[in-house]
Amino acid sequence: MSQTTETKRPVKRSEMSKLRWTWKEMKRNKTAYFMIAPFFLLFIIFTVLPVFLSMILSLTDFNMLEFPEFVGVTNYTRLFLQDDIFILACQNTLIFAAVTGPVSYLLSLLIAWFINELPPKIRAVVTLIFYAPSISGNVYLIWKTLFSSDQYGWANATLMDLGLISSPILWFEDADYVMGLCIVVALWTSLGTAFLSFIAGFQTIDRSMYEAAAVDGIKNRWQELWYITLPTMRPQMMFGAVLAITNSFGFGAVVDALCGFPSVDYAAHTIMHHLSDYGGARYEVGYSSAIAVVLFIIMFASNVVIKKALSKVGE
Amino acid sequence: MKKTLFQKVLCLLLSVTTLLGVFGLTVMAAPSDGSYGTNRDTASSLEEMTALIGVPTYSEYLNKYKDNEAAEGAGAIKIDVVGDRIEKESNSMTVADSLACQDSIKRFPELWENFYDGSVESEALFLPENGSTTWSFNVPDGAASYYYIKITYFNCYVDYTDPSDSSASSKSSISSIERKLFIDGAAPFKETSYVTFNKTWQFDFVSETEPVDCNEEDSETVTYVTKKLAPEDEREAYCKVVRTVKNKKMVEKTYAISQDINGNSMLPTVEQTSKWGTYYCQDSTGYNLDFFRFYIFNGTHTLTLEAEREPVIISSIELIPVDSQDPAVKAEVSLPTYAEVLSKYETEGAKPAKDKDGKDISVRLEAEFPDFVSDSAVYPTNDKTSSATYPSEPDSQVYNVIGENSYNALGQWAAYKFTVSETGLYKFGMRYLQNALQGMYICRSIKLSGGQNELPEGALGRYGLTDGSPTAPFLEAYSAEFDYSDDWQSTYVNYRNESGEKVDFQFYFVEGVEYTVYLECSLGSLREIINAAETSLNNLNEYYLRILQLTGSTPDDSRDYQFHKVMPDVLDGLKYERDNLTNIKKELEALCEDSGAHTATLQTVAILLDTMWKDRGVEIAKNLGNFKSYLGTLGTWINDSKKGTLIVDNINIVPADQDGEALPEAKAGFFSSLWFEVRSFFYSFFIDYEAMGLTAVPDEDSRTVDVWLAEGRDQSNIWRTMIDAEGGFTDTTGYGVTLKLVTAPTLLPSILAGKGPDVYMGLDSGSVINYAIRKAVLCVNGNDEVNQSEDQRAIFTHYIYRNDENEYFYLEHELTADEVAANGYTLVSKPYSEVSADNYVTAATNTLTLEGNAYGVPQTMNFAMMFYRMDVLAELGEEVPQTWDELLSVLPTLQSNNMQIGVNYILALDFMIYQKGGSMWKYESSEKWAGARIALDTPVALESFNFICRLFSDYAFPVSFDASNRFRTGEMPIVVGDYISTYNTLTVYATEIDGLWEFCPLPGSDTGKKDQDGDPIINYNSLASVTASIILEGARRESVETTIEVENEQGEIETKTVKRYPDMEAAWAYLQWQTSASVQANYGNKMVALIGPSAKYQAANKNAIKDLSWTAKERAAIEDQMANLSSIVNYPGSYIMARYMKFAFLEAVDEGTAPTEAITQYIETINLELTRKREEFDMATLAPTDPDPVQD
Repeated sequence: MSQTTETKRPVKRSEMSKLRWTWKEMKRNKTAYFMIAPFFLLFIIFTVLPVFLSMILSLTDFNMLEFPEFVGVTNYTRLFLQDDIFILACQNTLIFAAVTGPVSYLLSLLIAWFINELPPKIRAVVTLIFYAPSISGNVYLIWKTLFSSDQYGWANATLMDLGLISSPILWFEDADYVMGLCIVVALWTSLGTAFLSFIAGFQTIDRSMYEAAAVDGIKNRWQELWYITLPTMRPQMMFGAVLAITNSFGFGAVVDALCGFPSVDYAAHTIMHHLSDYGGARYEVGYSSAIAVVLFIIMFASNVVIKKALSKVGE
Repeated sequence: MKKTLFQKVLCLLLSVTTLLGVFGLTVMAAPSDGSYGTNRDTASSLEEMTALIGVPTYSEYLNKYKDNEAAEGAGAIKIDVVGDRIEKESNSMTVADSLACQDSIKRFPELWENFYDGSVESEALFLPENGSTTWSFNVPDGAASYYYIKITYFNCYVDYTDPSDSSASSKSSISSIERKLFIDGAAPFKETSYVTFNKTWQFDFVSETEPVDCNEEDSETVTYVTKKLAPEDEREAYCKVVRTVKNKKMVEKTYAISQDINGNSMLPTVEQTSKWGTYYCQDSTGYNLDFFRFYIFNGTHTLTLEAEREPVIISSIELIPVDSQDPAVKAEVSLPTYAEVLSKYETEGAKPAKDKDGKDISVRLEAEFPDFVSDSAVYPTNDKTSSATYPSEPDSQVYNVIGENSYNALGQWAAYKFTVSETGLYKFGMRYLQNALQGMYICRSIKLSGGQNELPEGALGRYGLTDGSPTAPFLEAYSAEFDYSDDWQSTYVNYRNESGEKVDFQFYFVEGVEYTVYLECSLGSLREIINAAETSLNNLNEYYLRILQLTGSTPDDSRDYQFHKVMPDVLDGLKYERDNLTNIKKELEALCEDSGAHTATLQTVAILLDTMWKDRGVEIAKNLGNFKSYLGTLGTWINDSKKGTLIVDNINIVPADQDGEALPEAKAGFFSSLWFEVRSFFYSFFIDYEAMGLTAVPDEDSRTVDVWLAEGRDQSNIWRTMIDAEGGFTDTTGYGVTLKLVTAPTLLPSILAGKGPDVYMGLDSGSVINYAIRKAVLCVNGNDEVNQSEDQRAIFTHYIYRNDENEYFYLEHELTADEVAANGYTLVSKPYSEVSADNYVTAATNTLTLEGNAYGVPQTMNFAMMFYRMDVLAELGEEVPQTWDELLSVLPTLQSNNMQIGVNYILALDFMIYQKGGSMWKYESSEKWAGARIALDTPVALESFNFICRLFSDYAFPVSFDASNRFRTGEMPIVVGDYISTYNTLTVYATEIDGLWEFCPLPGSDTGKKDQDGDPIINYNSLASVTASIILEGARRESVETTIEVENEQGEIETKTVKRYPDMEAAWAYLQWQTSASVQANYGNKMVALIGPSAKYQAANKNAIKDLSWTAKERAAIEDQMANLSSIVNYPGSYIMARYMKFAFLEAVDEGTAPTEAITQYIETINLELTRKREEFDMATLAPTDPDPVQD
């Protein structure tokens, strides 16, 4: 009898290994695990697995049509030691990310804040206006018309009318202008999902917090923004920051459409382009996986930094 | 290479996750053909071009001769087409001499019997598709007068190949017959440059039963039913059945459009019919309805017909005085007004038709079953916009209307035969949709023929010329009007009289007579307005060029150009055209009682003109850019207005006293529409789009070829029809085909997964080589000893025959037709060497070849050619430049007129190297080292690179430009670009300059050498870019052991056990069939028929070019350039050259860097990349410091 009491005694956490404890907890919460399984399976197959696969692949020579061949870290040594274009691409990407990332992020935040002050009906309209460029697909091609290399292109025609230039500038085919123009276009299209989440974030803030803060001695709108608004919407800000990073590092399609691929003299060649150059045009998937891994690490690291920075908001 | 499942899955996963998009590689690649054209005579001479300008229009011509006396009572002048020929100026043959005609005579004996019977009096003459024929004729004293020109021609399908002399071969294509008519060696007016004889086409959907005795009154009934066409059919087809009883004999005629296994209609094939036709020289642009009047003085004259398109046979040419008193002639050439016809009805007591028993005697003609059409581009189609359209099936596409995007060009018609059961007056009622031109109506001419045999001349109810050609019964029938509505309408055919009321036309038909009604696209009552707009546009274009010559294309706003002093006439002209356009708009609005969006264009142009002419033209400079784009808009407006898109569901012949109630309902009821839409929506989930066009469920036992193509639905449908057609691939070889329409990036992952097709059609040559060096594409010339077994290679090096027992025979020699028949063989395929030698220039096959292995058969081939505006060059007095030196000597004249030359620099950088006798690659003579280094640092290449860069930097050629728009305004009279895309764009986009431009081979470079006559040898080379059909690795996955009979070295037959690869055999047979000349030509012509003249196809097969619908001159130019083609071989790493050449070019142009310096800095980078790529494929490589391994 006493023996049975013994066995029925609740097991203490400290008495079993971590693994056993986890297994026990899992059995207890099996419904939850069952519910999350479909998503988790898909997530692993389509997100986690590919990331690991491309890490493995980056150690091989793989031309997509024949079976990969293991080559060790050759791809990485070549990437960092021999590939000048990659270094150029890194440089372009960092300039690009350093300018468009923070600027578009702050722009989103500020514009969202301003719009939030508007009456609801006008707010809806203005939101749509700002959001429109990023939802209307390839609308950035309008820049191709504005800055057409033809002498009848708008920018060229205007400048020639004003007498500032005498022959057309080949905007998107001139190494001097390509990067600047691409950054402008990137900023123009950047008020996307992050911007919407900011607007949503602003609206979920409990009004009573402001009243309480006023009682506690908030003096102006800036303090209100810094101490109440921003800390309250930290999740949205994190979400926005992640998007800004991915967008600014992964910016590629727009450059392709505007400048052609590759851009003249690699002036707007980003890591993303380098990756698709090797993966698509040269069928060197092993090498392009190495590039992808590097890009992944850069993005991951900047994510960590941003997370740290965001935790300081409101302090 | 065998993969385990795991490896396959792994590969697939890897590729899906890492493949970010397949980038099409620029075709880059190799050696010149070495064929230098020494004479390029396909361009027009200055003399020919000058003849184009200064020719008056028809109205100017009439004005010029308006005071000349017309002789009274002059007789008709007959030209004896054979005897009056001026032999030495004529490229024509009598029918007796012409082998092509003899060939046709055998084919159409009954027509020629008539001919020799004496129904046509003189001997006939065969005019081939090129050259011209001149006749002399004499106008007697006192007979100077206005004459009509009447030509009797035989409209027949000529298909004659002379085995000994290919220039004597003749073949009709889908184009209409076009000639230029000259009198005394010159065109009397512009419109005679487009003399167009109609052809007549017929769909093959009619079948007729044998006459059966029956005891009924004469009658004809038309019914529309669904029935099984053959007892074994699974589905019922929708058809029209015409049951005719005549003289106690009953005949049933069935019109049925064949269907695929899912009940979708399939486009019936159309064939040219043969008959004699009468042609009165008239305006093919639609602006003048009357026959042309030529004023001819007395004395001896010549008349010339110069060939533009298509061969034709003519038997007589007559000049008929316009005031001829001969009643037969009068009846042909003069039309009464409708009022006169109505009064004739009254005097002759014509009454609305009525049945004695009060039965409904209306006849309904469903528009999808035309008896004849003018053009193979007029074909039935499916409409799903209304459930009231008959027949409508929610689950399939049944052809139920005619005329969507086709059947809208001037002169196109569809014709329907009908017979009425009671004599009397009738009206035509139609159910149609005209939602194309908002705020405007469109016109159709109603032409009729019939009663020639039954009724005396001049009798009521007899229509058309004596030979049965149709005519409009009265003037107003030229402009039956169809108003705009966004929904279907059902009305009687009508016109607006002077007071603006709509009047329904009445026609008198006699019972039992077979009539034919023609619905022809015409400008009708809009012709004057559109003509005025077009004249305005031409004037404005001229003003634009004149202003441009003074100001340049980007004028200085702040400068006063003194337009009122320099060109006061232009200012007046602008003002005049403003008024003109405003009037046109008002007139249009009055005519259409509506001011829709369509007319707003005219208003905007008028407003701009208004600002421009005012204040002594100070605003002109500021608005020049706008002006240019508005000219484009106005041109498009005219194009749109000329296009009369009308979708017709049915035509009803209804007794004249009936009202609108007698017509079918225009719109479906709300609930029936809703129910139809709902069903359509749900069916759309179950329709198997892949089986579209499949006529039979593929047989399990038969071998099928899996073919993929990445093109449009139209293209895929055409291939499907051609494969399944009688005499098509399946019919002749017994192999089935599954054809799948895919998107281009699908191919790579599918190969990875081992699910790829056997054959892929239309892959660019860069990708072909890329896949091939990675072992995904099979070599098709039997040269690949590394990857293919002997048995596999044998497929590509033998004549393969199959007998009825399905045994295969690989033979070294081709059998004669008799031997094939004796053995009961079918030819499955020929060796590659024969296929390629017969059909392709080496430039085409080179791009698909690497180290002697050919990896596909070329399908399309594109290359740069030169397009030029003949009128502009003639006005400037410049010849078409033959060489780059000549081009540069024309340049000052052009530039002083602020005009430019457009050259596509990416194309020019490449072809120039080959024109200068260089190559893109070093060591091409050695198989081992070819492609190991780039040849851009050779003196020749540097010189040519330098030359092209200087064109853009020193001579200010524009780098970026909208070629078609500037070509259209005349600002850029010379354009060098891809021949097919430039041609197609200009054809569809710039119709107002039709006939004013041509294209010819590229300007050449002087090679510095002389030919035996001491003339310099000019190299006109252009570069070929090719897409190919390929066989993929997967095709050899299956093999069967078999014994075959093989011819050994001693010529004896011995049996041997080998492996056969049935999929490879089938795939190779398909590839060969698909790229053969006749199939390629057929495909190209079908595309043009379906989509229109802007869908010309750039077949790579040089024998197919002959049968595509180019004019003789265009064809000569293309063949000329094809003989002067090089190509760049796609060695590993070739993608890198285009990239760095572009960088270097842009650096030279943008930054002003010396071109040679700009390119030399990249040479090492390029060579390193080539070396790296060659290492990957274990090819011989060179380090930068290595000396040249071989001397070129």
